[in-house]
Amino acid sequence: MKLPSGRLVHSRVVDDPGAALAAALDRELTGYAVLEPQETLLLAADARGVLTLTDGVPVLTYHTETDRGGPPALADLAVPGPYRLELVALPADVLADLHDTPALRVPPGMPAQRLAGDPDLAARTRNNAPDSRVRESPASGSDSGEPAQQSAVEAFLENEGKIEAIREQAREEARERAAEWGLDEVCE
Amino acid sequence: MVEAFAVASGKGGTGKTTSTLALGMALAEEYDVTVIDADTGMANLLFHAGLSSVDTTLHDVLVEGGAPVEAAVYDRFGMSVVPCGTSLAGFEAAEPERLRDVVATLAVDTDVILLDSPATLGSKSAVLPIVLADRVVVVLQPTIPALSDGLKVQEYAHSYGTETAGTIFNKVTDPDDVQSVAEKSRRYFDGPTLATVPDSDAARKARRAGEPLLAHAPAAAAAEAYRGAARDLDVRSGAADDVADRFRSAVIPEQR
Ligand SMILES: Nc1ncnc2c1ncn2[C@@H]1O[C@H](COP(=O)(O)OP(=O)(O)OP(=O)(O)O)[C@@H](O)[C@H]1O
Ligand SMILES: [Mg+2]
Repeated sequence: MKLPSGRLVHSRVVDDPGAALAAALDRELTGYAVLEPQETLLLAADARGVLTLTDGVPVLTYHTETDRGGPPALADLAVPGPYRLELVALPADVLADLHDTPALRVPPGMPAQRLAGDPDLAARTRNNAPDSRVRESPASGSDSGEPAQQSAVEAFLENEGKIEAIREQAREEARERAAEWGLDEVCE
Repeated sequence: MVEAFAVASGKGGTGKTTSTLALGMALAEEYDVTVIDADTGMANLLFHAGLSSVDTTLHDVLVEGGAPVEAAVYDRFGMSVVPCGTSLAGFEAAEPERLRDVVATLAVDTDVILLDSPATLGSKSAVLPIVLADRVVVVLQPTIPALSDGLKVQEYAHSYGTETAGTIFNKVTDPDDVQSVAEKSRRYFDGPTLATVPDSDAARKARRAGEPLLAHAPAAAAAEAYRGAARDLDVRSGAADDVADRFRSAVIPEQR
């Protein structure tokens, strides 16, 4: 997916994708959000997730490492934070051309549901979406309901490389923090 | 003889407190059970157990020259329950390290200790329950964020020499679908899937009534699922002697 450069309106580190989605929604951003995991470890250094948004509501998703779009890209994006988040504003007409890519589309509430596991945020997002999009199903047509949520979870569990990366990162963090908190030398 | 379990998930709202009390009540059929709210920064077990107006809580014990542990132990629902206060001042005054002594003291006189653990791994007080426990029960939901945080908790636990006793899938909306998720996740999580607990109005109502699920709605499917989890949990009886020492000296292994 080729993205026009646009105007950077917000850049900071967030703990999880839910915070990123909420930031975009609260601003009613028209443009795109780039999520870059801070600790990539086994992931490619340039692994990024991209979400385009209209009025803060997600329209397309894409993942740079796996080159997948739509719901599968959400599964690819689901790695532990923190992330560097960049919100970029674009004129609506520039975005409209981009949005004519059915294979990359996701229903409005799906990112909040899958990335953040946050039904309230998903509902808030759907409330902001035009009626025409609320019942939109993704390109595959088979990936919109609850079974699809499961299949995304299963796809996540089948990605052994990513799971190993999550575990490796957690082990590393656990060791570092133990030292920091003096937990490795208490007592005895 | 005692075994201490941390009930943990890494993610908020997965049902750790609900599970701690439900598992505790189910285990209390067979064992002498002590439940401790080790979520000292965001305590809420007291609200689940009808203890929100008690005078002495874990916060009062975790300070220098504070109350004796026994003063914060309440006999409720067939268990010994140690609630924690909810004030920020109480949390700030509390010295996390003192939890060791609390666990060590209570361990002498009980069979099973359940530590309701915080929804974060970001501070010493947050990881201490996992450090102190013999094993961790990981509470999951069949969602990507919950599984990913559950994996993190397990890695922290293993890094700190604490094994996995098993997993509980909570708030399950589709029992058929969760089976394949549970099967796939077994590759990564040690121990059995102890239960898949349905998303249940009874659980929400129990919380509102200030009662553990098994007291409020013992016949609910969710309650039965927790009784199944208790049956599948193989409680290991540690040596009766040096129990206290074990917890007082729990340290993180050098390298694993
Ligand atoms: N199986 C269930 N079905 C429906 N609701 C549930 C279920 N289990 C727990 N809940 C509800 O979900 C909410 C969170 O549960 P609980 O307090 O046990 O989670 P927790 O993991 O301890 O949360 P925290 O991270 O805030 O400590 C409560 O309102 C509880 O009643
Ligand atoms: Mg809790």
